[in-house]
Amino acid sequence: MKKLLVVDDEVEICEFLKAFFEERDYEVLTARSGPEALEAVDNFQPHVILLDIFMPGGLDGLAVLKRIKDRYPNIKVIMVTALETREKIEEAMRFGADNYITKPLSLEYLEKDVQEKIEVLSGNR
Amino acid sequence: MFERRPKKINYQTVLRDVARSMVRLKRPERLLKLITRYIDRELGLSHTSLVVLEETRDRFIFVDSKGSRRVPIGLIKFEMNHPLVLWFRAEKGKELKCEDFLQRSLLAKGLANGRLKMLVPERRQLYEKVKKAMDDLKIELAIPGYFKRTLIGLLLLGEKKDRKPFTKSEISFFQTLTQDCSMAVKTAEYHRSLIDKNVELERQLKEIHNLRKKEQETYYEIMRSLAQEVHAKDPLTYGHINDVEYLGLKTAEELGLDLTGRKRDILSAGLILHDVGKIGIPDQVLKKPTGLSGEEREIMKTHVDKGVKILEPLTNFKEVIEIVRTHHENFDGSGYPLGLKGDAIPIEARIVSVVDAFHAIVTSRCYRSNRSVELAFDELKKCSGTQFDPQVVDALIRMVHKEKVRRGSGFFNLFTPS
Ligand SMILES: [Fe+2]
Repeated sequence: MKKLLVVDDEVEICEFLKAFFEERDYEVLTARSGPEALEAVDNFQPHVILLDIFMPGGLDGLAVLKRIKDRYPNIKVIMVTALETREKIEEAMRFGADNYITKPLSLEYLEKDVQEKIEVLSGNR
Repeated sequence: MFERRPKKINYQTVLRDVARSMVRLKRPERLLKLITRYIDRELGLSHTSLVVLEETRDRFIFVDSKGSRRVPIGLIKFEMNHPLVLWFRAEKGKELKCEDFLQRSLLAKGLANGRLKMLVPERRQLYEKVKKAMDDLKIELAIPGYFKRTLIGLLLLGEKKDRKPFTKSEISFFQTLTQDCSMAVKTAEYHRSLIDKNVELERQLKEIHNLRKKEQETYYEIMRSLAQEVHAKDPLTYGHINDVEYLGLKTAEELGLDLTGRKRDILSAGLILHDVGKIGIPDQVLKKPTGLSGEEREIMKTHVDKGVKILEPLTNFKEVIEIVRTHHENFDGSGYPLGLKGDAIPIEARIVSVVDAFHAIVTSRCYRSNRSVELAFDELKKCSGTQFDPQVVDALIRMVHKEKVRRGSGFFNLFTPS
């Protein structure tokens, strides 16, 4: 089964994306903070992560991204954020992000991008 | 007997309420939230959402969403190539007879029963994409809002609790609502932009006004000091230019002249600035105590035109310029530069003429004595009716007598050079 982890501090966004991808036969887990996300990665072993940059509690999306990529370089991480500064994007790419999508986003594009990441992974296997 | 019935919408009441709110509400965002909240409360759909065109970015965004399957605000956008946007922007789909709305159940039926197979592939593809977009967001009914044929928003509605399709009357209700909303939003936007523009214009005008006022005040100050300088240089005039101003205003009061508002300032400025053009007269002419040659007298006369030119930038003081222009006109028409006569000469200029002569005589070295005031009176009387306006001469004499009584001999110290 395709496994997706959604990390966002906004519960509404988590719930919406969870429902959306579950209807497309994904197994979806959500996390609301950096530490929660790291724990979920260890236990859930997702194929793809949708990761918000701005999260309260000291550990932001970029720090989470770096830790995940250090330990699990194969997990595809798509940054999903309202922040769109050149520095943030470059930083995310340097840490190994697989894509960078800004909110508000096109749902069609998001679905396609997640699907593509899954296909790349299964092709590698 | 009191069987509970599903709540029905009284469309007319709702519409009237909404219309009333639209008039009251100046902020369209609030109106839109009101609408979504209303529909959500009355119908309890799986969701009630509004997307609105962001003109500056060429995209549609969710401004409000209510219900269990609501769409988080700020998460999703519709680009201009989004199927729903394309659908309502492009030629409307005649085949399904859903010109002003899209209903997922109808669309699904059309796609399933093969009626759409005869369409050109692109057309069929669009139908499929529209259907998918509606599936993605759990949209059962989509209603477009237009303003002047431009799609500016969409009302997106989820399923009813009982999953029954929307009725015709419900759909037409939503259409009316969406159209009214579009209108209200655009009108409010238009008014707001108009108000913004007005405020901005007013601010600019005020700034210009303030700047000009400040500029003019500064300019007036410069003129005033210039006038004093000229006054001091002229061997025929001594004392302070402010004394001339004081005498002139007093004479005008004695004449019963209306000095309210700007009128007082105008006379005041005329009294002070009438000879400012002498700044352009060569010292050897200006400082010659007596016996000017004919040529030198002509040069002297140019101080009137020079004064007018210097004061021209004072656009708020057009009347002052007129006083300067006419202060050497004589009552009988024998003066310069125009040879005006009697009432054709502004009263302020007639006052300047008399007061200036009086002040010159009482402060002049040649006449300096206790009798100087009496001598000045004699001189004024002699020229009354020819050079001077007799009424002004009389008024000045009356005024000086009154002041003498009021102030005693102190009054004459005013005119002695320090
Ligand atoms: Fe003069």
